Amino acid sequence: MNERLGMIGAWSDVIGAIAARRPSLGPFGWMLVGVVGGAAGYALVAGGPVFHGYSYLTDAFSGTGGAIVVAAILLAAGFLIGLGTKIAGGCTSGNGLSGNAMGSPASLVATMTFFATAIVVTVVTEALL
Amino acid sequence: MRTRVAGALIGVVFGVVLTWSGLTSPDVIRDGLLFRDAYLFLLFGTAVTTAFAGLWLLRRRAPRALLTGERVAWEPIRPERRHVAGSLLFGVGWGVAGACPGPIATQLGQGIAWGVPTAVGLVAGILLFGRLQARAAARGDRSQRVSVIPSPQAGDATA
Repeated sequence: MNERLGMIGAWSDVIGAIAARRPSLGPFGWMLVGVVGGAAGYALVAGGPVFHGYSYLTDAFSGTGGAIVVAAILLAAGFLIGLGTKIAGGCTSGNGLSGNAMGSPASLVATMTFFATAIVVTVVTEALL
Repeated sequence: MRTRVAGALIGVVFGVVLTWSGLTSPDVIRDGLLFRDAYLFLLFGTAVTTAFAGLWLLRRRAPRALLTGERVAWEPIRPERRHVAGSLLFGVGWGVAGACPGPIATQLGQGIAWGVPTAVGLVAGILLFGRLQARAAARGDRSQRVSVIPSPQAGDATA
């Protein structure tokens, strides 16, 4: 194998298996299954973070119409996360954690870029909503 | 088989840690990115430092993988345009949703319905990338130099 661990690779493995109608998952796909299962198990035993709606989004957009707006915003955000992390070859875990720990200059550039962008976007949405 | 079991176990540990540490919550991510709380940066910094130290020790031993016996080795990857372009898109999505691919999975595991639209979008983004990559490969090497879509052979394209 000799591959770097990362969550977007885990999602890709599962999606690839479904798209190719391949019956079995690789180690990365099983990692995603483990993450979902681990979160479910921990939440059942000890309780996970408490959700009151979905952060600033459900505060800004309330009611049934608001829920549709929030779902649409999250759908678009998820799309940018999927496309962006695939283009960059890693997400917060692949580039941010694994890549930086491996001393990869590309991962350092990617991490500085996504942290800076996310900080700007968060500050702007906080000011507007 | 054994690598799949190892993958699932690593996933369980990561899923538990993401939930336990609170990173499943968009409020925790947001308070970090707004500099209201140092927790996110301290947690991320500690994780990278621990992994860096561990890999540094591992590398000095010129190791072989426990399960497959392969030599564990890696080369530094040079920054390219795609690392910046992709991370810009990702940063916008992360800032808006307050979740990245790990926490999107743990939100689903915890049974948070708001994780569903984010996950559907994530899947759509990954599928579009696959299409773009297939088209870039079909066009051949000439256009790949100007494209931010890496060729399927790129070393870090899976993670």
